[in-house]
Amino acid sequence: TSLASSAPKNAILVSHRQKGNPLLKHIRNARWTYADIVPDYVLGQSSCALYISLRYHLLHPDYLYYRIKELQKNFKLRVILCHIDVEDVVKPLHEVTRTALLHDCTLLCGWSLEECGRYLETIKVYENKSADSIREHMDNDYLSRLTHALTSIRHVNKTDVVTLGSSFGSLSQVMNASMEELARCPGIGERKVKRLHDTFHEPFKRAS
Amino acid sequence: MLPFEEQVVADLVEDPNGGLVVLSSGLPLASIASALLVHLCYQSQGSGGGGGCFLILSAPDPVKAQIRRRLEGSGSSLQVHEVAPDLASQHRVALYASHGAVLFLSPRALVADLLTSRLLPSHVGALLLLSAHRSSDTSSDAFVARLLRQRHLLPVFAFSDRPHAMLSGFSKAERSMKSLYIRRLHLWPRFHLLAASDLERSPPEVIDVRVPMTPPMRGIQSAILHAMDACLKELRRSNKVDVEDLTVDKGLFKSFDEIVRRQLDPIWHTLGKKTKQLVADLRTLRKLLDYLLRYDAVTYLKYLDTLRVSEGVRSVWIFADSSHKIFDLSKRRVYQVVIADGTKVAAHKGTPTKKRKVARTTSRKGKETENEDSSDNKDNAETGVVVEEILEEAPKWKVLRELLQEIAEEQTKGDSENVMPVDEDRINESGIVLVACKDERSCLQLQECISKGSHQVMRVEWEKYLLGKAELHGLHRKNKKTSQQPKGFGVLDGEVPMRSGESAGPVSISRLETNALLAAASEISTVTKEANLNDDSNVSCRKRGLVKGKGKVKKTMAKREASNLIKRTTMEHTDLEVEGQSGKTDEQAEVNACMLSKKDDSASAPAIDKDANFLSAPGDPVDAKPLPLQFYALDSDQHVLDVWKPSVIIVYHPDITFVREIEVYKAENPSMKLKVYFLFYEDSAEVQKFESSIRRENEAFESLIRQKSLMMIPVDQNGRCIGPTTANEPEALLSQNSITRKAGGRKPPEKEMQVIVDMREFMSSLPNVLHQKGIRIIPVTLEVGDYVLSPLICVERKSIADLFQSFASGRLYNQIETMVRYYKIPVLLIEFSHDKSFSFQSASEIGDDVSPTNIISKLSLLVLHFPRLRIVWSRSLHATADIFLSLKTNQDEPDESRAMRVGVPSEDGVVENDVRAENYNTSAIEFLRRLPGVTDSNYRAIMEGCNNLAELALLPAERLSELMGTQKGARMLKEFLDAKCPTML
Repeated sequence: TSLASSAPKNAILVSHRQKGNPLLKHIRNARWTYADIVPDYVLGQSSCALYISLRYHLLHPDYLYYRIKELQKNFKLRVILCHIDVEDVVKPLHEVTRTALLHDCTLLCGWSLEECGRYLETIKVYENKSADSIREHMDNDYLSRLTHALTSIRHVNKTDVVTLGSSFGSLSQVMNASMEELARCPGIGERKVKRLHDTFHEPFKRAS
Repeated sequence: MLPFEEQVVADLVEDPNGGLVVLSSGLPLASIASALLVHLCYQSQGSGGGGGCFLILSAPDPVKAQIRRRLEGSGSSLQVHEVAPDLASQHRVALYASHGAVLFLSPRALVADLLTSRLLPSHVGALLLLSAHRSSDTSSDAFVARLLRQRHLLPVFAFSDRPHAMLSGFSKAERSMKSLYIRRLHLWPRFHLLAASDLERSPPEVIDVRVPMTPPMRGIQSAILHAMDACLKELRRSNKVDVEDLTVDKGLFKSFDEIVRRQLDPIWHTLGKKTKQLVADLRTLRKLLDYLLRYDAVTYLKYLDTLRVSEGVRSVWIFADSSHKIFDLSKRRVYQVVIADGTKVAAHKGTPTKKRKVARTTSRKGKETENEDSSDNKDNAETGVVVEEILEEAPKWKVLRELLQEIAEEQTKGDSENVMPVDEDRINESGIVLVACKDERSCLQLQECISKGSHQVMRVEWEKYLLGKAELHGLHRKNKKTSQQPKGFGVLDGEVPMRSGESAGPVSISRLETNALLAAASEISTVTKEANLNDDSNVSCRKRGLVKGKGKVKKTMAKREASNLIKRTTMEHTDLEVEGQSGKTDEQAEVNACMLSKKDDSASAPAIDKDANFLSAPGDPVDAKPLPLQFYALDSDQHVLDVWKPSVIIVYHPDITFVREIEVYKAENPSMKLKVYFLFYEDSAEVQKFESSIRRENEAFESLIRQKSLMMIPVDQNGRCIGPTTANEPEALLSQNSITRKAGGRKPPEKEMQVIVDMREFMSSLPNVLHQKGIRIIPVTLEVGDYVLSPLICVERKSIADLFQSFASGRLYNQIETMVRYYKIPVLLIEFSHDKSFSFQSASEIGDDVSPTNIISKLSLLVLHFPRLRIVWSRSLHATADIFLSLKTNQDEPDESRAMRVGVPSEDGVVENDVRAENYNTSAIEFLRRLPGVTDSNYRAIMEGCNNLAELALLPAERLSELMGTQKGARMLKEFLDAKCPTML
């Protein structure tokens, strides 16, 4: 990977073994460059991908296993990018799935080279993107936000949020309320009092 | 009970394994099922054993009610209970234990109870399935049948009254019989010799009334058919559907969508937007065709307006020429725009409105002039354009009124004749007149038509329409301030969208039209206000006051005495041909089309008035005996014939199932006199639909008869032996299998493979298929994941639709997050349906750029954030089951009680198995991360900077921005923490 460091930093690194793969034509939203690397593609600091087509797998059923073996544990995210290019998928896909799963790889399937290319691009482009777009979306008004935060505590429901808010006046006061004060709120039973109090007063890190 | 029903039951109980009965729709399924239950109960009592309970799966509510009623009436000792899925388990167990009980259940709850041995198969007397057409080898009723039959040879009785549904798919009947361990198929079409002779022994008197449609209705109908044809042609051009099946004739049915969907489903994901839209458009058009005959003109126009707003941009058909015609004609059924002096606006040239007016009845004529009077008042000085109401009423309304009047007359006549002989039969007769319509809405509207007069009904609808318009316009005014050019303006106002080719003329006209409509609306609103005031002052005559506007009531009062005479003459005048139907009731459609001749105006006007009054005023002292009138909505699916016992039935919207019900009702009460009127619109889609539904059913039966003759039933299709799949492996075989699968039997041999399944997963068929493969299913309620395969492997299953949906809601992220937290090998299973295409999206959807809304982007983001997540792509249910089996190899069996505890915090707040829980206050971290301003990149720094959340709440803003690295974020957080909570109490 010493060679890789000389390549542009924000490019997908492509192994020389992939030369001639028509898939490369479809990588257009990210730069890519050949490099001397073990996996087929290096998509970021800690992610890489191996490409396999089902047709190839049918001819060389052991290929994938040996490629995964070579990878060792250098990458956090190890993608097996599988091109579904045969009609009768059940058996070969089953084998690929099993191999990927048992060797700590994440399987992604594409039904066209375009789709496969898009996965590579996207993983590269989204390397540092937050997960906000796939997380629960919430309304932006105060009560929804307050509800969103407080209901993360087990057993606390929407009614409790309103109760807490109107009894204490503000969230910072809720967070500094004593057990006794919490217990005085209607609908907040012993269990909830304890959960709330623990959440706010127990240190973030217990070990320290 | 009719003789043929007894025969059905007798045939059915002959085979101890049970059987499958397919009936014509409308034949008495509930009655047969309850007779069967009584028989079974009697049999089990005779044999001395307790017999156990009888389970009835997937019965629709009306059928349940009927069975309950019949069993209560039968005097048997059977008790009927409903076992709701949310019933506490000990109550369920108690119900299962009761002897000779009939239990209605949902298959899902039953499967779980059978798997957990809350219900022992040996305690079940028989299993009844009332919607057999819904079961397949992977459905949950098949699962129930297998779980029961594995341990105990009990009869399974399956019923279906949807013969054509039994034909969908390849040899569906045979396969569903196999999956239910049934060896005998009993077909009972309406044309079955026994059924036919029973039903035709004393058929009801049938009168077929053909009502002509108005010219605009006919115009609309042909325009819709045109548009459908165009859509179909377009669809054919896509080359993706079988052309032969796609005809406009079939397009009339609901099942048409099914045909198209069945053909397209395997490739649905890969279809372009346009093809999908075409399919949706066809559905819309079919609805339009249906509503044309069901809705009044104003409501129809309103529906079209909303349709244009909701579909306007997407639909293909809406821009076709014929759709222009649909909109135009529907508008002309309601109003037209005229210049104040009475000449029509040029844009509406070629409308035969004047002519049509003449063709209307006199009552309409009177109204017309009245309208013109009022429209003069509405004269809008500014524009010089007014809206002239046309308010075409549905032709059937008038015919219905005439019919009712005729019936009323016959009854009074009959009464006077029958004074002396006290006839047994006549005492039985209720004299009730039942009017059967498709939906509740029509029922209410017809009722009003009869009580208030149809013109009044149209007026009310019209006023509502106008007021709605005005309201919308007001809304637009407000919006206008913010948005410069309100795009939907013309559309919302019921205007045909402007096309570039058209001159500026129509634009100004549409403006004028809008203004005129609004002027009419404002007038109405003032009138209603006044009316309300009047009402307040004089509550007692409110009703009269409302009608007074029409000057109708007075007229009727005066003419009541005379009307009897006039009625007689009118009667003779109408050459209603009454045919005592002999035999072929099934082909009612072919009965001589007797037309209600149009009465000349002078005769009908007073008659109608008289009629409306006669029926509407039950409290009226003059009419001693008002016609007892009942309305019935076919959609409600209640079985009212037995309850109301009508002696006259008017089928306002013809429906084949209801025809059969009438036949059965008549056959069950042979001594009763029953007269049935059918109201058809002549040459309409209604007639076509009715006729082809008969044809379709007959064809379905013919095909089933053919299938039956070719059916191959294994001798041992009884559940004990190994069936068509490895489905029915008995216990012994099962454990042998698991030894070989376990690669040398690392486990003690008696231990079988098991999978822990979340209760909610029993909606899907996967537990069933896993069970077929010989895996023991343990149903529990799981907090995390859907399936636990081993102590390490947990699976979250998503169908394609689920996947898209739960990505959108963010639910998937949460599910994966918790699964990753508690299991070493968290698996996301993406399961495709075997009859749909195996791909995510069509090529066109991939696009040129990386778009955050695309499924590829979402999946990529998911794997980036959860690199430990494993993804399984499965082609089908069966493929999933195989993958599960192979994943379980070399893994320990999962532990039930442990799996249940995962993710459920114990009382001290520590979540078991959570690797982080020992070192971190996870609940506090989760809370922190949900606060505004806190992001993935700064929450760790915040945790470093303060001890706990209480401390964080008190940190000054400067310190926060130091920790978080941004002032904006810190301010956001601080403001949120200190914001005053709105007091909501």
